This record gives sequence, structure tokens and C-alpha cells, in this order.
Amino acid sequence: MPQNDKAILSRLKEQKVEFVIIGGVCGVLHGASLVTLDLDICCRFNRENLRRLEVAVKDLHPRHRLTANKLPFELTDHLCDTLKNVYLNTDLGILDCLSEVLGVGGYEEVLRQSIPHSLSYGEFRILNLDALIASKSAVGRGKDLDAVKLLQAIKERKAQQNELL
Amino acid sequence: MIDAATWAQINGEYAMPPDAGPAWRAAAEYGFDMSLVEDALRLTPEQRLEQHQRALDLILEVKEAGERHAAK
Repeated sequence: MPQNDKAILSRLKEQKVEFVIIGGVCGVLHGASLVTLDLDICCRFNRENLRRLEVAVKDLHPRHRLTANKLPFELTDHLCDTLKNVYLNTDLGILDCLSEVLGVGGYEEVLRQSIPHSLSYGEFRILNLDALIASKSAVGRGKDLDAVKLLQAIKERKAQQNELL
Repeated sequence: MIDAATWAQINGEYAMPPDAGPAWRAAAEYGFDMSLVEDALRLTPEQRLEQHQRALDLILEVKEAGERHAAK
């Protein structure tokens, strides 16, 4: 199963999905030398935005990857109103969409604590370093706490160099 | 003539930058290869993502090869 983050991000951008990159890929963008096997985003969980997400992955055979029967990702208004998270497996890899980030808050707060990053295929927002450290600390698994050590070192180095955190 | 410090670095010892702060030192002492982080910080975010993609592709390729081997 491939994992093509660039292709997934491009599709989300094309469909104007409102989201912030969080998790491991966010750490990579900040400079962490870690490898992550999925793409995590926090997005606005309303009907309009979830429908955009649905269109973005529609032809990629999206399935709810944590369900026993790998249910297809097919939205209804009821689902849009009740979903909290969407964990997808697609032909381009894993895409986990969260409505809130532990240690940070809901989408609006995540958006507030994000910074823009320009890539050749669009401008994206990613969690700032402090918020990413807060989220990893809150999750508290071994690998997250390891990442916190690395992110704190990067934060310190960037502060020394007066870089945007 | 190679001095002892250079010899140690050739053999993998990390040369701590003189301006390294406590968090940087702690991460290095914890076991992270901070030379990789130094390299990553010299890249643009897009280059970091591309480097990550190459590493990820390799990992997934090795993983799939392992699964194919186990299935035989």
C-alpha cells in the first residue's frame, strides 16, 4: 500500500477542504527526522467541508480503515452531523481526519495555533511547534514523547535563529 | 594525522555544536541522530517532505518484501 502525502494534500487543496496538517507529517515539515506512515489532518467537521473531503477522495476507494468490514466512506447528512473523526484507507494511502486535537482543542483553536507553509502545489497550514509539542505530550505514547524531545530541540534551535515557530 | 576527536566523529560520535542548548543536548543524549535534524533544518519544508517520502517509500517497499517472503 503506497502512502503519497503530496498527492493526497494536492487533492484536498483542489477541493478547497479546510484543514490543518497535524501529527508526524507536521513534525517532518518542522524539521523532525522521523518517518510517519500516515497523514493526519484536523479539519472542520461540517457538512460542506466533509462533502469536499468526500469528493477529494471519491475515486480512491476510500474506506473506514478501523471498521472490521472496511466500510466504504459514503457520507450522509446524518453522518456529517455526527462524525467526530474519519480514519480512511485510500489508494493513495492513509488519511486520518480529526475534528479536534488532544492538548490543543477543536478546529478553530487548531487553526488559530497554525502557521502557513508554502509548497509548490499550494499553501497549507500546519500546527505551530508549541501546539504540536502540546498535542504530542497530551497523547503521551512512547513514540509521541520521543518526538516531543526532538521537537523541543528544534524549537530551541529555531528560537536561537529567530525562525518562525 | 587525524586527531582523536575527528577519529571519534568518523566512527559516529556526534560533534555537539558549541551553541547547542539544553534541549538539543538532551535529544542527542537520548539517542537521536541530531546531525540528521541539522540536515533537515537546512532544507525547505517541501524538501523535507520529499525526503520523508523517499524514506517512507523505502520502508514500505521493505515491509512488502517481508510480507511476500513470509507468505511463501
